[in-house]
Amino acid sequence: MQGHSGRQGKSAVTYNGRELREMFAAATLWLEKSAPDINALNVFPVPDGDCGTNMLLTMRSTTEEAYRAPDSNASAVAQAMAKGALMGARGNSGVILSQIFRGLAQALEGRESFSGPDFAAALVKGAAAAHKALSHPVEGTILTVARDASIAAQMASAQSDSLISIMESAVSAARESVANTPALLPILRQAGVVDAGGQGLYVVLEGALQCLKGERQKMQHRRPQVVSSNMPVASKIPTSAFEEETPYGYCIEFLLRGHKALDRDRIRERLADKGQCLIVVGDEEMVHVHIHTFDPGKVLGYANSLGTLHQIKVQNMDDQFKDFAQMIEAEVPLTNIATVAVVSGEGLARVFQSLRVSAIVPGGQTMNPSTGELLEAVESVPQDKVIILPNNKNIIPAARQVSGLTRKKVKVVPTTTIPQGVAALLAFDYDADLRTNASMMKEAGSAVRTVEVTRAVRSANIGKVKIRRRQAMGFADGKLVSVGNRPDEVLWQALAGLDIERGQIVTLYYNWKARRREAEGMAERIRREYSGVEVEVIYGGQPHYHYIASVE
Amino acid sequence: MIRVVTDSVADIPPKLAEELAITIVPFYVRFDDEVYRDGVDLSTEEFYRKLTSNRRLPVSSTPSPGEIAEVYDRLAEETDEILSIHVSSKLTATYEVALQAQEQMKRRGKCRIELIDSQSGAMGEGLVVITAAREAQTGASLDRVADLARKAVLRSHVRMCFDTLEYLRKGGRIGRAQALLGSVLRVNPIVGVKDGEVHPFGRERSRAKAIDRLFDFVRSLPSVRELAVEHATTPDEAEVLADRLGVLFPRERIYISTVAPAVGVHVGPRVIAVSALEG
Repeated sequence: MQGHSGRQGKSAVTYNGRELREMFAAATLWLEKSAPDINALNVFPVPDGDCGTNMLLTMRSTTEEAYRAPDSNASAVAQAMAKGALMGARGNSGVILSQIFRGLAQALEGRESFSGPDFAAALVKGAAAAHKALSHPVEGTILTVARDASIAAQMASAQSDSLISIMESAVSAARESVANTPALLPILRQAGVVDAGGQGLYVVLEGALQCLKGERQKMQHRRPQVVSSNMPVASKIPTSAFEEETPYGYCIEFLLRGHKALDRDRIRERLADKGQCLIVVGDEEMVHVHIHTFDPGKVLGYANSLGTLHQIKVQNMDDQFKDFAQMIEAEVPLTNIATVAVVSGEGLARVFQSLRVSAIVPGGQTMNPSTGELLEAVESVPQDKVIILPNNKNIIPAARQVSGLTRKKVKVVPTTTIPQGVAALLAFDYDADLRTNASMMKEAGSAVRTVEVTRAVRSANIGKVKIRRRQAMGFADGKLVSVGNRPDEVLWQALAGLDIERGQIVTLYYNWKARRREAEGMAERIRREYSGVEVEVIYGGQPHYHYIASVE
Repeated sequence: MIRVVTDSVADIPPKLAEELAITIVPFYVRFDDEVYRDGVDLSTEEFYRKLTSNRRLPVSSTPSPGEIAEVYDRLAEETDEILSIHVSSKLTATYEVALQAQEQMKRRGKCRIELIDSQSGAMGEGLVVITAAREAQTGASLDRVADLARKAVLRSHVRMCFDTLEYLRKGGRIGRAQALLGSVLRVNPIVGVKDGEVHPFGRERSRAKAIDRLFDFVRSLPSVRELAVEHATTPDEAEVLADRLGVLFPRERIYISTVAPAVGVHVGPRVIAVSALEG
């Protein structure tokens, strides 16, 4: 292929409809790999997370129809693609994509084949058609990307006839344009993403280019990259990002087949004041309408008077919006009762955090936090009602003093071990009041049996048992029940005294990451010995105790 | 006789729907580009098989105003009064869509239609529908049946025991139940619908205890008029739970149903639920 022949040669490489079809069939496959990534980016205009899917479905319909073209000349295939895109268009980005194909088809009308510069001109026409179809075009979206790519293609075509080098320019301009979308559209910036539709168009163009370069083989083993923003992105979306956009109303899409010739401009005019994001595309026979409105009845009623409606899709965007807003406000307290727990060990802290404890005070057996530290934690949470889980007998007195030192209402659930604290927290009821919660949590905590295995700091005689320094000791609910040299054996003996029954759950928290294998071995042994018992092994990272185990 | 209409989210067993002359408007379930009508083109068994084997999650969508209007239109040939009861308007747009359909019918001056937001879903919605349909069969007036259904809305409860909340999270419907997400320990969340929204009711370390909680919930109600047990993929478990509930409520009157695909999209396989209508 003569990629650098310049403008003077009249014998420029040309492409027929079959090649056009191949380009976009490859682009569809390329887009398919990227659809989930694109879905994840989707925040504008409706954060419903299906932009990638919608574009993919639109592209599939486009290429399927391309294969049904009666002729393989460029014009026939382009017309078929435009029809397929219109029929299959879904969502905002899909509809815009269908307009781009419509522009392509118009530019290639009557052409047996096309050259690089022809294609550049067709892209320009496509981008213009897409822009025109929208009642209120928004910058920083697929529209901007389409325009930037087409301008780059046109400029490149002044330098070279080669479709490959023209497309290379278009793709690289598309990439830059996608990266720049957050600079143009505030909601993208706030969400810390690039525009999903723009990313989709970039992937489509890139797929087509790779096909032209004969890289289809290579494409199988790679996937499209999500363009990263060239803006510093906000790490969190502030709630105010949504206030500017609400309320939403309904998103309506349908195909209208006219009783007689349809006048798109007239339809656009009539619908313009009925909502936002209006798109009216198609031909005299059939148009695709997309609008965001508060009154779907009026829109559908008007359309119904012009012809028959097909593939009607009505979605309540307020619902979608609310869901999305809820998804991101995870940090807002869900209850007016806070929980504060005394925990040490990074793994155990993670367990408590994952159960939504409000605050953790580091401490435990030999590190009893002061009343002041507990008070500080109580004051640090936004709620006025607080439940403290001391998780140690020696910490309960300090915890009980907190209520006299604060204006907040404080209840102490007197848990004496970590497993009791976990069980109490699990029983937390988001609906119940402070008193009910405190009593339910206490009951749940006391229903759990705890085994702790630690090392003797000195030799001693406890009852009839003789313990040497550094030996492992096993406690069941605070009572010494076993002694030995190996922590796992001591644990095993302590558990054996608890009459573990079918249906119960044993949780083993081990202290060092290196002990994982030993802990797993112990879990296996428990499962074998006690059938119907579930065992879970969790890294606790707790000081002093080789193992903390719960039976519930 | 007035006719009762609902959506497929209500999980009314097909046989019962036929018996009580309840018309069910199907939801849509879409796996990528394959679109199915809930319970019509896609059986529940097939759905859960696809749900667990497909890498990508399906999405559900409501019927269109036109489709609901078509149903009303068809029924209008047999009756001039319709009661249409739908899934909570805080969970989907169905109620709004039904309003549109009602509006269309009003313009054509056909048939009186009353709409009710069940403020619930699954059999929490279903029990309201069943109550209304039974009353309708006695030949009661639309006003009376609608009034009864509105009162039932306030007394209908649903509690579901989940294996995972991932489906609920991914479907964007998790609401306040997000409080139960992300536990390092394995837990079985218990989630229901309260004031029309998804609501966390608790969590248990084992599935057996979580199912006990469903039993305890029914036991905690002062009196029960209707009771249903539902499952997604575990019929035996549902039977066992229904047998246990037999000590609280006549076993033969407990409805056993399966969680419809449109709900299954959001709750995932292995969900087991009880719904109760307080007496």
